[in-house]
Amino acid sequence: MRAYLVILKAEIFALFISPSTYVATFYFLSLLGFGFRFFIESFSFTDWILPPLSSLVIGLLFGSPALIPFITMRSFAEERRLGTLETLMSAPIESFVLVLGKWSACYLFFIIITCLSFCYPLLVLFFFPEQGINLGFDKFEYWTGGGMFILLYGGSFTSVGIFASSVTKNQMVAGMLTFTLLTIYISLMAFSFGETTHENNNNFYNIIKIGLGNLGNGLKKLEQFSVGLIDIATFFNQSAIIIFFLILTTIQINRLNR
Amino acid sequence: MKVENKPMPIIEVINLKKAYGNINALKGISFSIGKGEIVGFLGPNGAGKSTTLRILSGIIPADSGEAKVCGVDLAEEDGQVRNHIGYLAENNPLPEDLRVIEYLKFRANLKGLQGSRLRERIKIVLDVCDLERKVSERRIGNLSKGYRQRVGIADSLLAEPRLIILDEPTIGLDPRQSAITRKMMERLRGEVSFLLSSHILSEVEACCDRMLILSHGQIVAEGTLYELQKKFIKNTIFQVVAVGKKIELQRKIRTIDSSCELIEDDPVEISGKRRFTFSTNKGESIAEEIIRSLLELNELHVSEFQIRRPDLETIFLRATKENWEEKDIIVRKKAKNANPSNL
Repeated sequence: MRAYLVILKAEIFALFISPSTYVATFYFLSLLGFGFRFFIESFSFTDWILPPLSSLVIGLLFGSPALIPFITMRSFAEERRLGTLETLMSAPIESFVLVLGKWSACYLFFIIITCLSFCYPLLVLFFFPEQGINLGFDKFEYWTGGGMFILLYGGSFTSVGIFASSVTKNQMVAGMLTFTLLTIYISLMAFSFGETTHENNNNFYNIIKIGLGNLGNGLKKLEQFSVGLIDIATFFNQSAIIIFFLILTTIQINRLNR
Repeated sequence: MKVENKPMPIIEVINLKKAYGNINALKGISFSIGKGEIVGFLGPNGAGKSTTLRILSGIIPADSGEAKVCGVDLAEEDGQVRNHIGYLAENNPLPEDLRVIEYLKFRANLKGLQGSRLRERIKIVLDVCDLERKVSERRIGNLSKGYRQRVGIADSLLAEPRLIILDEPTIGLDPRQSAITRKMMERLRGEVSFLLSSHILSEVEACCDRMLILSHGQIVAEGTLYELQKKFIKNTIFQVVAVGKKIELQRKIRTIDSSCELIEDDPVEISGKRRFTFSTNKGESIAEEIIRSLLELNELHVSEFQIRRPDLETIFLRATKENWEEKDIIVRKKAKNANPSNL
């Protein structure tokens, strides 16, 4: 536990002193803010059936492939480039604790960004309470459901980023790999969204659908989360993905030390 | 019956093996290091020095064999050993964004130091490694090679380890900085055991109690400098500075020791005198007898006599050469067996 906290603290410090994370956070939050503003302005003209707060969650979800690489690419790739991974492993610390510490720091940073982005609807509610109430920003269940959804996916996205960072010495390559993996992940979610109007007899499609199980239904699950219905299966799915990628990263780190 | 209470060695290695794919980095090495000893680990590039040090530090596992470090069996609990040792990796990789003091605090925390003990240990290691306050506030990325090396050594000393493993600690350092490193080891002599690998043989010669010479994954020599001199250099070489003819000098020496030979045909001229170098296989005692008889001869005017002891470089080259030759023979035999038509 002590070693975990030491790594967590050091990693958070490293993230806070890295200019790239500030630049990425600034651009991400700015774009998200603009998008959110235009969405709530034109909300009454759209046929959007979900609470307006879910648009922010979708913005965070689809923006993650651009944001997550900036948070995670540094973690192991930089250690490998400098050779400090060996120095780190010469201290009494287990490799899984190291991976967990680094992932927690990145995840915590993601949570901070999520919290900052959630300030937008709060500001609307504060400065324009009437409009805020009309848009449902006063509904606690919308906040918890939406927040939990993005935090679950943020956890699995950061674990993918941490894994990508462990397979290369080059931060840029790690970033690009994270972007690619997350884009594939979100594309699968997007393409498997909705119900087919007729029975699909394509075997390949069916195999993929069964194989993905609940993982491919992320956007469908958002419909439930955004109105405050917590889906336990999604919670377990995302936890499984987090554990899977953290174990993969640990195996990779141990392999590097062989 | 009298039972000898032999102290437990700090490192005990028996038949340690490690391979990277088809390459056998270590072919079954065995050695032990006692408490408080400073042992130099020598060997050409690719001999397996760093691999051995990394195994002993618990960073990588061995394929087979036994290794006990500070009483911890590496095969059973390799992570435990890191609580007892300080390790300086080859090239000393350090995070460049951190200040020296921040880095040392981070490492101390990682090693389980807290509160007043942490502050006290940091103060001590900064003092031992000559890292003054001004330097400790600087970013590691802006430090010179010498200071970076000292930061690495300071880190290895932090948790009061019983054993310090230093992989090339003085590489890239100027003579003054190397001397500081040596001084640091001298200060800790007896309290802490050191195992250090180095290419700088004079350095090892100056500060190590014992040497281990590794070549092609095998230990080819082990012992104190004197023991190694005796083992690898059979002949005693001595120099005589005298006025006089070479023939006369040689004849006189031959009357005492018929095997004694003049090594250099053209003696070196030193301010009107000449320096002759001889070699004998009868040891130092005969050389002393020769000097006594030469001093009796007035016409030779012997002004200097010196028994030249081989330095570590000569021993190193001799020890590793034998191993190279053996390997060469094996390779040639293999090639012959594989392709008999070339015979």
